[in-house]
Amino acid sequence: MADGGVLLGLPGLGVPGPAAPMRLTVALADGGAATVALHVAGAGLACCSVELVAAALRRPEARAAGLAEAGTETDAVDVLVVSGTCTDVLAPALAALHASLPAGTPVLSFGACASSGGPYWDSYSVTKGVDQVVPVDVYVPGCPPRPEALVDGLRRLPGVAR
Amino acid sequence: MSDAQEPAATDDGGYAVPARSRGVITLVEENCTVCMLCARECPDWCIHIEGHTETLPADEVHRRPRTENVLDRFAIDFSLCLYCGICIEVCPFDALHWSPEHEYAGTSLTDLTHERERLAAWEATAPTEAQRDA
Amino acid sequence: MSALVEAVQAAVGGHVLAVVPGFGPVTVDVAPEAWHPAVAAAAAAGATYADFLTAYDELGLGFAVVAHLSTRDASDHLLLRTRVPRDRPEVATVVDLHRGLAWHERATHEMFGIGFVGNDDLTPLRTQPALGAHPLRKDFVLAARVARPWPGEKDPAGDTGRARRRTLPPGVPEGWGEQA
Repeated sequence: MADGGVLLGLPGLGVPGPAAPMRLTVALADGGAATVALHVAGAGLACCSVELVAAALRRPEARAAGLAEAGTETDAVDVLVVSGTCTDVLAPALAALHASLPAGTPVLSFGACASSGGPYWDSYSVTKGVDQVVPVDVYVPGCPPRPEALVDGLRRLPGVAR
Repeated sequence: MSDAQEPAATDDGGYAVPARSRGVITLVEENCTVCMLCARECPDWCIHIEGHTETLPADEVHRRPRTENVLDRFAIDFSLCLYCGICIEVCPFDALHWSPEHEYAGTSLTDLTHERERLAAWEATAPTEAQRDA
Repeated sequence: MSALVEAVQAAVGGHVLAVVPGFGPVTVDVAPEAWHPAVAAAAAAGATYADFLTAYDELGLGFAVVAHLSTRDASDHLLLRTRVPRDRPEVATVVDLHRGLAWHERATHEMFGIGFVGNDDLTPLRTQPALGAHPLRKDFVLAARVARPWPGEKDPAGDTGRARRRTLPPGVPEGWGEQA
């Protein structure tokens, strides 16, 4: 489970926002454990972003502290979390956001809409999975996924997964 | 719902996952008659079922030959699933149940399609009927 | 009787086609040429909050355009409705009375193809111009449902040898789908 959780950045698209680390305890192959700090840039497109906020604001003291620490260092971003439904007209903005982050930043697709279009698979205006627009490393299923599911997904990121 | 049912708080400021949470769907194969109702009613078209019929010959108990549906494939694509529960509600034979398990993210989309073996394995974490009605 | 309904009746009198009570607000049906005066009369009588403006497809009867108007303190509200013919779907704009309805008129134009005369910004919100159709019209078929094989179509019994009509999934009308 998450060892801690400091404020997650929730930007309007194009602005990574306060990227404060989310700390995960990861079990190592040798039986030990390590704490990994991830700077998460969140592209909150729709309802799934509510669960993203819930995951970020888990610790009451983090809510108070994190809001005061506002940093906008794009260099510190470790993962882009795309949560919510991406429409075809929004897709170029999402691609531009990803391009503005450091090269090779892994992407986590959070929720059914971001992974495959979800309930809007037959829509005239929805991108059927953001992996059509940005390279996705981890898919988290759910509608919406629990905050614990986000942590499970983050644990499977390349660089975090052991 | 009494106060005793309130989910327990965890030390990171969250809540324990309730037993009746809609985490993943499990299949009890012995109940499935391949009626295809769940696949037809799923709004996402994410349940993939294949089956065939077999004819069982007449014997002392059954005076006439009868046909039976046999399940070949039962898969749920969780990348599409919207966790509405229509499949579970519509199944006339109580073959589908909710389980609160939610940690099954994948590094590729195909990881999110669970075939019958994986669906059956989730049954271990599904609440029993008594727990559901508590 | 609601003061708003009375105000509308006083203003456009002969163009009021019906006053229909409902579970919520009363619905006042007016002729399309009285649309702007009716909204103006309601606004003058205190309905300065425009909740939404939308439409629905009534097939042979045309398109119904509906607006929900309310007083600021929610003490009174009404639904104003008009019907425009399918071959000439247009009605006067009301953005001069309620600026907030600009988004609604754009969305209604995009989804139904209804023209709002006097509103020169009806840019689509979420569809590409290349779509070339209005998605909420009842004759708009979601192509994905036609093209994608429906898992519910399968039958363990398979082809019994009798000629069997292909089962169409919900949302796909007769005549669409695999040809031959």
